Amino acid sequence: MQDLSFKVQRYLPGKDKKPYIQEFTVPFRQGMTVLDGLIYIKENIDNTLSFRSSCRMGICGACGMLINNFPMLACHTPVEELETARVEVRSLPNFAIIRDLVASLDPLFEKHKSIKPYVISPDLKEAEEPIAEFLQSPDELESYVQFAYCVKCGLCMAACPTVATDALFLGPQPLGQAYRYCTDRRDTGAKERFREADSPHGVWLCHLAGACSEACPKGVDPALAIQLLKRAMVFDSLRLRKKRTPASVAQPPAESKPKIDVPEFTVK
Amino acid sequence: MEANASGSEKGYLPNRLGVKGWVWGGRYTIERYLYTLHRLTGLGLLLYITLHLVMNGYRLSGAESWTDLMELFGGSGFKVGEYLVMAAFIFHALNGGRLILQHLGYTLGSPKPPIYPYGYSMRRRRPIVWVMLAVIVALAIYVLVEFVT
Amino acid sequence: MKETQLKILQYISGIGLFFFVGAHLLVSHLSSGDPTTWESVLGRATSSGWLAFYIILSIFGIYHGLHGLRTIILEFSLPNPAVKVLDWSLLAVGLTVFGYALYIPINAFIVG
Repeated sequence: MQDLSFKVQRYLPGKDKKPYIQEFTVPFRQGMTVLDGLIYIKENIDNTLSFRSSCRMGICGACGMLINNFPMLACHTPVEELETARVEVRSLPNFAIIRDLVASLDPLFEKHKSIKPYVISPDLKEAEEPIAEFLQSPDELESYVQFAYCVKCGLCMAACPTVATDALFLGPQPLGQAYRYCTDRRDTGAKERFREADSPHGVWLCHLAGACSEACPKGVDPALAIQLLKRAMVFDSLRLRKKRTPASVAQPPAESKPKIDVPEFTVK
Repeated sequence: MEANASGSEKGYLPNRLGVKGWVWGGRYTIERYLYTLHRLTGLGLLLYITLHLVMNGYRLSGAESWTDLMELFGGSGFKVGEYLVMAAFIFHALNGGRLILQHLGYTLGSPKPPIYPYGYSMRRRRPIVWVMLAVIVALAIYVLVEFVT
Repeated sequence: MKETQLKILQYISGIGLFFFVGAHLLVSHLSSGDPTTWESVLGRATSSGWLAFYIILSIFGIYHGLHGLRTIILEFSLPNPAVKVLDWSLLAVGLTVFGYALYIPINAFIVG
């Protein structure tokens, strides 16, 4: 592949009125990612270029950007997969720009906090001083574990058409996580989360565009979680939701007699 | 959530796509654009219902007013509009039916632990969308033939 | 769970509209003969079955349309105090339109 043309969004607050595109030429290396290209630009061409990155292996979610018109993790996007030598990188849409490619994810974190993203245990003493693990069957785990892989990268929020106009909409990530906790049998906070999701800017502004699941780099499928949350809320509203007992704590193993008579040790 | 949740209170540059994001947000697949079309047909049908109610009011003015109005609506321009309304209804109704089922989590399958390369429920169930679109196109063609003949 | 209840009504009205508008289109646009002649319209106007049909169709159509419009307006970051104003305004509009939609077929049924 020939040298790559990186068209990177630049914006310096206080100096630029609006973002502009700056073009850089980056030598192609087999297996390089978009993040490698940005690091090359910063180290060799323009060290004022600002962007977020951390783990460089698709697990921290820091490097979310709009790459060739699609939200992706820069570290998780091999340049060869783009099938073009022209790479256009902009900051994530629907998030305010701090500088260059750095977007403010504060609204995402605030909305995530508002749905209480933690297990709300019925037994506060157990929650504060746990004595053993909770018992969950493999089926119960499978009902929510997919949604637990969320890395809070914000790509789903950038893809969502409702987030594009509505700053108050909770968004795919918080709503998906609300379902993740509601369906976890260790949790008893479903009613509180339903109340939060039932607001005028809550779950019912999701219209199943599916862009969130398409953009998600971890296979979390927030669209599925949101529709399952809607089902749970509809059934709860119609008083058809099955009541279930919270997961119990594992009991310590009972003392048992040995099956065979073990002789006493001769060496004391 | 505060109304100014865009971050602009900290001096950051707002970067929301706005209404443009409903129509074109990037390189997405078909369900995103079905959502846009569902919205457009819904607004179109709402406008039509309003005009239709006004038109129905002419019934109260007697046979002559009604007949004159029907003669006006017999023009080819109105016939095209009438067909578009029917096509919009066919799309909105069938897509709406799909949405009702999928909004309640049906026909999407169950959660699966993600194994790379990741799929997602709507992609796995995309044949439902193709079947729905085939039925929409078939009905639209049938109605067109009825109109023309 | 007010929003959920409104959405359930939206689903019910949507399903209802599928059948009622489908039937209405079949009669008005796709049947043989001309259903828009005065005589044909008068025939339906003086039928109690059609009267009930039009009333139910109006209820479903007005609710479904205005709820859809409400959803679109909410997506412009409407703050919560303004949501109340929107709800009451749409309720007033809906009742007015429903009143008019009711007046036409009932008047036609009584007067002929």
